Amino acid sequence: METKQVEKPVQLQTSLLGGKLSDESFITLFMVGVLLLVFAIACLVVPNFYKPQNILNLITNNWFVIILGIGVTFVLITGNFDMSVGGNIALTGVLSVYFCQGFNVSQNALANGLGLPYVVAVGLALLCAMGVGAVNAFFIAKLKVPSIIVTLGTMMLARGAAQVITQGAQRNTSLPDAFGFLGSWGIPGTSIRISVLVMIALIIIAFVFEKKTVFARRIYLIGANPEAARLSGINVSKYLTVLYIISALLAGITGILLASEFKAGVSSRAMGYEFDALVIALLGGVSIAGGFGSVLGMFVGAIILSVVTSAATGMLLSPDWQFILKAVVTFIAIVSQRFALERRKG
Amino acid sequence: MKSTENVLEIRNLVKDFPGVRAVNDVSFDIKRNTIHCLVGENGAGKSTLIKILTGAYARTSGRILLNGEEYNSHNTRDAKQKGISTLFQELNVVDQLTVEENLTLGMEDTTFGFLRKTDKINKMIGVLNSIEPSIKPNQLVSSLSVAKKQIVEIAKAVAAESDIIIMDEPTAAISESEIGRLFKIIKGLRDNNVTVIYISHRLDEIFELGDYVTVMRDGKHIETKPVSEIQDRSELIKMMIGKTVFEQYTPREEDCPDTILEVKHLSNHRLNDISFDIHEGEIAGFYGLVGAGKTELARAIYGVDEYEGDIMFKGKKLQLAPDKAIAAGIALVPEERRSQGLFTILTIRGNVPVMNMKKISRNGFINDATERNVTLEYVDKLKIATNSIEKEASKLSGGNQQKVVLSKCLFADADLLMLDEPTRGIDVGAKSEIYSLIRRLSKEGKTIIIFSSELPEVMNICDSIYLLYDGSLKSTLRNSCDVDSENILHIVTGGE
Amino acid sequence: MNDKTVGISSEEHITVTNTKKESLRIQLDQSATVRSNIKRYYIYVVLVLIVFVFSVVKLDKFSFSEFFDRGHFLSPDSVINMLRSAVPILTLSGAFTLLMISGYIDLSVGSAMSLSAVVFSLMILNGFSFPFAFIITLTLGIVMGFLNGYLVMKLRITPVIATLVTLSLFKGVALLIVPDGLSAIKGSADKVMPAWINDYARKDVLFGLPWAFWVAVLVIVVLVVVQRRTLLGKYAAAIGGNRLAAELSGINAVRMVWLLYIIVGFFAALAGMARASYMSLGDPLSGDQMELACIIAVLLGGTAFSGGEGSVAKTMVGALIIISVTTGLMTVIPAYWQTVAMGSVLLAAVALNHLLVRDKVKA
Repeated sequence: METKQVEKPVQLQTSLLGGKLSDESFITLFMVGVLLLVFAIACLVVPNFYKPQNILNLITNNWFVIILGIGVTFVLITGNFDMSVGGNIALTGVLSVYFCQGFNVSQNALANGLGLPYVVAVGLALLCAMGVGAVNAFFIAKLKVPSIIVTLGTMMLARGAAQVITQGAQRNTSLPDAFGFLGSWGIPGTSIRISVLVMIALIIIAFVFEKKTVFARRIYLIGANPEAARLSGINVSKYLTVLYIISALLAGITGILLASEFKAGVSSRAMGYEFDALVIALLGGVSIAGGFGSVLGMFVGAIILSVVTSAATGMLLSPDWQFILKAVVTFIAIVSQRFALERRKG
Repeated sequence: MKSTENVLEIRNLVKDFPGVRAVNDVSFDIKRNTIHCLVGENGAGKSTLIKILTGAYARTSGRILLNGEEYNSHNTRDAKQKGISTLFQELNVVDQLTVEENLTLGMEDTTFGFLRKTDKINKMIGVLNSIEPSIKPNQLVSSLSVAKKQIVEIAKAVAAESDIIIMDEPTAAISESEIGRLFKIIKGLRDNNVTVIYISHRLDEIFELGDYVTVMRDGKHIETKPVSEIQDRSELIKMMIGKTVFEQYTPREEDCPDTILEVKHLSNHRLNDISFDIHEGEIAGFYGLVGAGKTELARAIYGVDEYEGDIMFKGKKLQLAPDKAIAAGIALVPEERRSQGLFTILTIRGNVPVMNMKKISRNGFINDATERNVTLEYVDKLKIATNSIEKEASKLSGGNQQKVVLSKCLFADADLLMLDEPTRGIDVGAKSEIYSLIRRLSKEGKTIIIFSSELPEVMNICDSIYLLYDGSLKSTLRNSCDVDSENILHIVTGGE
Repeated sequence: MNDKTVGISSEEHITVTNTKKESLRIQLDQSATVRSNIKRYYIYVVLVLIVFVFSVVKLDKFSFSEFFDRGHFLSPDSVINMLRSAVPILTLSGAFTLLMISGYIDLSVGSAMSLSAVVFSLMILNGFSFPFAFIITLTLGIVMGFLNGYLVMKLRITPVIATLVTLSLFKGVALLIVPDGLSAIKGSADKVMPAWINDYARKDVLFGLPWAFWVAVLVIVVLVVVQRRTLLGKYAAAIGGNRLAAELSGINAVRMVWLLYIIVGFFAALAGMARASYMSLGDPLSGDQMELACIIAVLLGGTAFSGGEGSVAKTMVGALIIISVTTGLMTVIPAYWQTVAMGSVLLAAVALNHLLVRDKVKA
């Protein structure tokens, strides 16, 4: 019988760099390039933009969006959205205050809480945050409802609950001394506070997680082809559930830190943060089609957004320009990334 | 202009794909207002021929004349406008609309955008009514059975005044009584100025329905004859099989005494009370043609689809989930490579280790070096043609893609490996490599089940052969060097 | 293993299976009829229930005469107020439904509405006549819809992301246009918003209801007819139900859906003007969360997420339910419960929709 001659593989290339760069790394590098370009423009337009303190601020001022971005990125990789994170921040912050406010210490209802120790309050608040994530998971993984609609609903639920507990305003009295610690302690001599350290730690963990763990690999598989993932033995429902709970937990942590920083649980906190988290993920090259993207890219995207918005402030543009800038920047990013990838594949 | 006797004339049609000539210098005529059947085994070239007629493929060379004029179409819509409508196996109706709305879709009469019920529309409804009065125009298509949906599609094609209606395995998904009704309708079409090209492997249908039959084999046209001149099934079967010498089957040296898989009274929406045992170490083959239920059976065993009945694997009851099946030691190479088996946007390295991550990781952390080595190992073992394991899976040829899927499943270290249409759309070279691989695996003690619609494949390597037809297990036999392949084809085409 | 044939003859076997398949199908058909009846009428039941609950909740004693008395839920004043405030959502959600039937979504409608309100107010404030401002704003709506359609159908950006981008864009432009120091366009020392701006959305024209309301009614009637009896409505359902089949039948999906986006933009502008007229100011945040309200209305009305089926009429009932709920709740609970209520209603609507619009069992 005739057999077709099979070409023996010539040099089998296996290295990641130097050989074939993965598409994800390519896009991340592409966006780094964009970042440098945007930064250069900003330096030209805004005096003193290149000062080290300013550069540091660019990274540290957005610590909260970056933490959110971690969860949102992973959810996006599976092809889903999580728009509930902003509401979750508000809820967790408010709960962290409410749980440890003094018990029955005042006539004013907003000054009374459950009187629990701070640590317990934090723990309970985080649990509630994860509860929101669980609600998301139920509708999305079990009922298979489109995630955009569900998470908009849970966003309102969470924020609404925060509004109810604060009667539409905030709670900021009768707090234990320990309350402000997390938000104010910083490395002596610098402006780097716990929140920034948490962000850095989480980014590093997330990056290692994304590149090296089995769990993360399966997330990419689910996003790339949910049917094939199922046939390859991945329990898609389980992974989605865990992801939404993680995303909620990250939002919760952010909420705790922000509440501590401002020593208040404000029901209007973090309005629009979920949108920003989505924007930086998209800027970083994460694709809603699923199976593609990196937290490192998201981080780069966050800095790009930071540069753009602070340059706008530096040019004395009103804060209202932010909306237009974000829209335009996102649009350019999506289109240019698609263009770059298509060119690459030739 | 319809004075010519032949509605379609095919002259020296050739279609080449990289590495294979799917249609090899085919010439024949289709007479006007006849039911013209097209038969042939898998890979005979009939689907490719049809795809050229419907515009899905462009021919490599040759001519087609429709009503005496040159015919060329770019896509299905184009073909429809030129007079050739096709009923595919995937129904092209909109479930959420009514029958009338589907009938008139794309052909509506309007005044300022308002839908009007004109004579033209009433005529179309009349067409449906004359075909099948029990379908009411204002019924939702979603409430119709598959058979009735088909009829709506037929009516639509007739209403669009098609010269030719092609039907591809139309009886695969409908019941016996519905088949009778469909045949009446098809005969009615013929009597009303429509030519029907009817593709089916159910040979009884050819005799019941067909005026003419064209047999294809290995891409070539074998013969076109009036059905009345054909004596019996075996004559047809002989034409379909020809003098193909099956590669010699080598009987097993040792017996396989232990049962590894027991299937008891398996039934679901497509399967009827199937029971069988598979023995450890053997290569079993489930053979049947389109609609026989092979994929449904594979998916049921794997835990993807629901069923009634019991399946025992290694003495324990199998649960209804793929991850449980994999954990128990079963792996499935799915039917659709691209949509079910492969992660096309990922690389080879991203695909291969997927079903057994434990082996390339420790404590949940992936060991890059192990991952690379394992991938390289399988690329080598299966001779996957690539110069890098970082190549995107979508860029590989069909054969190499299948090898990646195979690697993926082999890496799962399954004791039972199920392969659904393992060599579909793969060139000859890769095919034989896969067969040697299967034999090698069997020697190593693995049990293998192949679900296939290619008889040579099954005859080549399987120790035991199970014949499926219409969701039932019709017969089982032991393979040997002189198995009666005609009888097999007889059974899987509905004979007794 | 020997040659084996199945125990019973194949003929019998086939009959047995056919009966099994047929009886399965009959069962499905019966439950489908029950389910389809529930599907058709539940929403009216829900509306009646809600209205009833809110009517009863604050009554001192249960008597029919009190039902419609002043101060109560169903009193003429109250009903008129509700209907007046319902004008924007009634104007917009019909077109929104059509778009969702085709399987596409527009999250920017709220911002489009706000921007329209702002532009309209700005023009009125600067002395342009009502008709002129009206037409310009409607043109703006068409342009916004055109942009959305371009992003989604031509550039093929996922609808969610494309319309989130335009949401941000429209909102940003609206915020910028508002003069510095003001949160809304309402007039200053030298320029005053004319009193007649209220006429459109507040002045009693018929049965105590203003022009804007009757325009909304007209819009609803037109869109119901469009959905049920025109090519556009049918093609929207075809595209949403089975885009491939639709395109095979010659439908140009890109153009159709693009048109639907333009229509949505048009009505968003109309809704924005109604809001501006009602409040006599152009508030760049006035349309916030309108897209959520539309989604809830559409979900309550039984439109499937994936498209293919849906009903403008039922969405309207859904819109009325939302208005009733929000108005009714305002009398019962403090304002800061609104968001949580909306969220719960949305999730409840999602769950309800899921139960009712589930795929039939695939056989």
